[in-house]
Amino acid sequence: MRNNIDRYLGIYVHIPFCKRKCDYCDFYSVCGFDDSLLDRYLKALIKQLDDYVVGNSRYTVDTLYIGGGTPSVFGGKRLAQLIKEIGKRFDFTPDIEITVEVNPESADKKLFRQLKRAGVNRISMGVQSSSDEQLLSLGRLHDFKTAESAVLLCREYCTDNISLDLMYGLEGQTMDGWIRSVEDIVSLEPAHISCYALTLEESTPMAQRRPVLPDDDTVADMYLAAVDRLGELGFEQYEISNFCRRGYRSAHNSRYWDLRPYIGIGAAAHSFFGDKRYSTIRDVDGYISGILSGESVIDEADEIAVKNRIGEYIMLRLRTIDGIDESDFERRFRTPFDSYAEKLKKYVPTAHAECGGGIYRLTPKGFFISNTIICDVLDI
Amino acid sequence: MMDQSKIRNFSIIAHIDHGKSTLADRLLEKCEAVSQREMTSQLLDNMDLEKERGITIKARAVRLDYKAQDGETYELNLIDTPGHVDFNYEVSRSLAACEGAVLVVDAAQGVEAQTLANTYLALDNNLEILPVFNKIDLPAADPQKAKQEVEDIIGLPAMDAPEISAKQGINIEAVLEDVVANVPAPDGDPNAPLKALIFDSQYDPYVGVIVYFRVMDGTIRPGMKVKMMASGACYDVLECGYLRPLGIEPCEELSAGEVGYFTASIKTVKDTSVGDTITEAARPAAEALPGYRPSQSMVYCGVYTEDGSKYPDLRDALEKLQLNDASLVFEPESSAALGFGFRCGFLGMLHMEVIQERLEREFNLDLITTLPSVIYEVDKTDGTLVLVDNPHNYPDPAHIAEAREPYAKVSIISPPDYVGNIMPMCQERRGEFKDMQYLDTHLVELHYRMPLNEIIYDFFDALKARTKGYASLDYSMDEYRASDLVKVDLLLNGEQVDALSFIAHREKAYGRARRICEKLKENIPRQMFEVPVQAAIGGKVIARETVKAMRKDVLAKCYGGDITRKKKLLEKQKEGKKKMRSLGTVQMPTEAFMAVLRLDEE
Repeated sequence: MRNNIDRYLGIYVHIPFCKRKCDYCDFYSVCGFDDSLLDRYLKALIKQLDDYVVGNSRYTVDTLYIGGGTPSVFGGKRLAQLIKEIGKRFDFTPDIEITVEVNPESADKKLFRQLKRAGVNRISMGVQSSSDEQLLSLGRLHDFKTAESAVLLCREYCTDNISLDLMYGLEGQTMDGWIRSVEDIVSLEPAHISCYALTLEESTPMAQRRPVLPDDDTVADMYLAAVDRLGELGFEQYEISNFCRRGYRSAHNSRYWDLRPYIGIGAAAHSFFGDKRYSTIRDVDGYISGILSGESVIDEADEIAVKNRIGEYIMLRLRTIDGIDESDFERRFRTPFDSYAEKLKKYVPTAHAECGGGIYRLTPKGFFISNTIICDVLDI
Repeated sequence: MMDQSKIRNFSIIAHIDHGKSTLADRLLEKCEAVSQREMTSQLLDNMDLEKERGITIKARAVRLDYKAQDGETYELNLIDTPGHVDFNYEVSRSLAACEGAVLVVDAAQGVEAQTLANTYLALDNNLEILPVFNKIDLPAADPQKAKQEVEDIIGLPAMDAPEISAKQGINIEAVLEDVVANVPAPDGDPNAPLKALIFDSQYDPYVGVIVYFRVMDGTIRPGMKVKMMASGACYDVLECGYLRPLGIEPCEELSAGEVGYFTASIKTVKDTSVGDTITEAARPAAEALPGYRPSQSMVYCGVYTEDGSKYPDLRDALEKLQLNDASLVFEPESSAALGFGFRCGFLGMLHMEVIQERLEREFNLDLITTLPSVIYEVDKTDGTLVLVDNPHNYPDPAHIAEAREPYAKVSIISPPDYVGNIMPMCQERRGEFKDMQYLDTHLVELHYRMPLNEIIYDFFDALKARTKGYASLDYSMDEYRASDLVKVDLLLNGEQVDALSFIAHREKAYGRARRICEKLKENIPRQMFEVPVQAAIGGKVIARETVKAMRKDVLAKCYGGDITRKKKLLEKQKEGKKKMRSLGTVQMPTEAFMAVLRLDEE
């Protein structure tokens, strides 16, 4: 599967710090931290980058994504230094996409200016809802007004290329309330919108609270209504949960769905590099001390055999609106797509999938039950 | 040759749980037939299942030597009988081999339905009946009252009958003395042509079938060529002898009045069925003993293995059980829903349950069984008669001239307080009230004619539930009656699920159809599309539910490139997935099937 695209690499940097952990979130982050910890973490990040520098050969990076956690709590200065240090070790393409996640309440003029100067050209902001009541129930630290002004500041001092996150299937959320959130978010004129259904993870405070959430049918209706409404408002859907103005797809996230390589830097970061998937340990202190003392910080590693690569490809491509191109599949894997095609065709009559011209893809209705469809297609 | 006047052949009869098997054990002990050490509890019931359920399923017999108070040694042949209505015919044949019966009555419970039913069976066979009042050690025991009941209800002198506790071993000798004194010695001419009654047989892998019989006339000895008068099968007797508690004891010959066994390398119990008459081929008896009836299945159901590949194991298991149980019949059938299996016929519900449990336990099979069905008679318009034991074979209504279903005579004995609960329940099950008699002031007997179909599902359990366990039930086959029967088919997504079809009276069909549809809806997981669940008679839908289409499944976001997590989630989903059966286009977990088939237990 070598082709010229593979000359480029994506970098993901995980900043596992938050002022407060959101009640629904089970990603790795820590809340108690001080400047010295942040400094040591930065030092470790930079040292980890060195692992990918071999002699004089340098990788060319075309996407850099700094996510969390809450990268904005890391501070503009550290983020700028981080980006500079990455630039010393890798070549950046001229049109590199550099995204930083920012929380509305930790965004200010200074931060945006620093980010812009450091080369950041895309901001992802977790707005989640335009209802303050729902923001509160999610355990978010901002209200919608704060989000509105953060977007304005971003536009003025950093970039227009803004992505906003939204959540649905929330406690007490109605269809009308949800569509209002969608419209309110669109009125902030983002270039990109991600919509995620709330998933209750057992270990989270929200799950412990046993909230009454809308049932699956309602959530499915919300999803499909958002797809329609966003379409009307000029946003194309290019992945299950992602929508954008023409030309504003997330280049970094698209890597994941295209099985292109990326390296993850930081604690609890995931990499797909050299046909291996691996992740670093979910422990900031262990990560820092491991990196600085030269020990391995790998948590899980998984060599992806060809058969599994096929499975991953199908699983990931079916998340996208472009779906699977039969000829691309056969070129990549030198194996016929027929048996998978047969299974996918079963879903055409019920409008869960579309097939035509050698392209197989799920419809929005199909996306929403894609776990079942993928399991069926892959026979798992 | 044994002196006939010293032989006593008797049975013990009782209502279930009144202590029949325990008394049998005590009698064996008393005659020192078995040492205390060898005495695992209740020797006569030698299947695990029987011990657990407290029911004697297969009849057994033992010969005991008892030294009576008069100084003489008597040969006592105790013939045990199965204690459930399903096995009435077997009971009657065991009784026919005796001259007397010990009627065990629980001194605390008094007379109950099977006490009466068994007494009548014994009287039919002209037996001398000796009441015995058991469980006098219980605080609730009231032997006087129980005796009065026996005198009033059954009309047997009971005041001088032994009061015993089989459990505690109290007064056991009195029972033996009673037997010696009051059970008539057998008569019969040892020199007449051989006439012996088969009351049981058992397959042994080494010697073939061991046939248990009572000699009525003549003498049987090894080397004799014998003939089964009903089946016509002929055998050379290899060995004959006595039945001892711990095995068989060969002897030279058995003559009129004696009880014993013979072997002849017989391969299957089918040819030596209970009730058949053994005679000498060279000098046959003029006529067979009365009362022979080929065994007749009353209840049928489909038996399948959960894992379809175990079909050959199921076949082997059924064949093995059949070696010992001529009343078990089966033939292969296949179902689109359940795969390959067998249509099995049973004497009744208990027999069915016992066989199912033995298949599961002794042969380690996981079974799926379809709803039990009785045999319906259908006259078709072309003049032919069809017997239907499987709803699948029910003729098209357009070709039916008349359909008939079997009715049973039902007798229920209960304290009068519960009559108000019993009557509506019988009516609901289409019972036809015949009469009600007060047996005494605190016991009443109700007689009904009721469709067998209504009895086989859950009638006994429902009766117990509505009478706090006080009522007792007995039933026997009556006749076929014309009935407004319909066959109801279940359809999933428009496709018929053969294993769920059932035959019912038109009035009952709707309610049942509705409940099955509801149950299916509850138990079928959402599919990719909406699944209509329908019940239909002919082309007409009489009940409908809808399993809504699946709209959403767990949708983990691929965050920060964590693909491994996503893969794990899918794997986990797979683990959680239950084993599904494909019914046409619809996937259904086996549990859903079971839930529907267990509908009547709720």
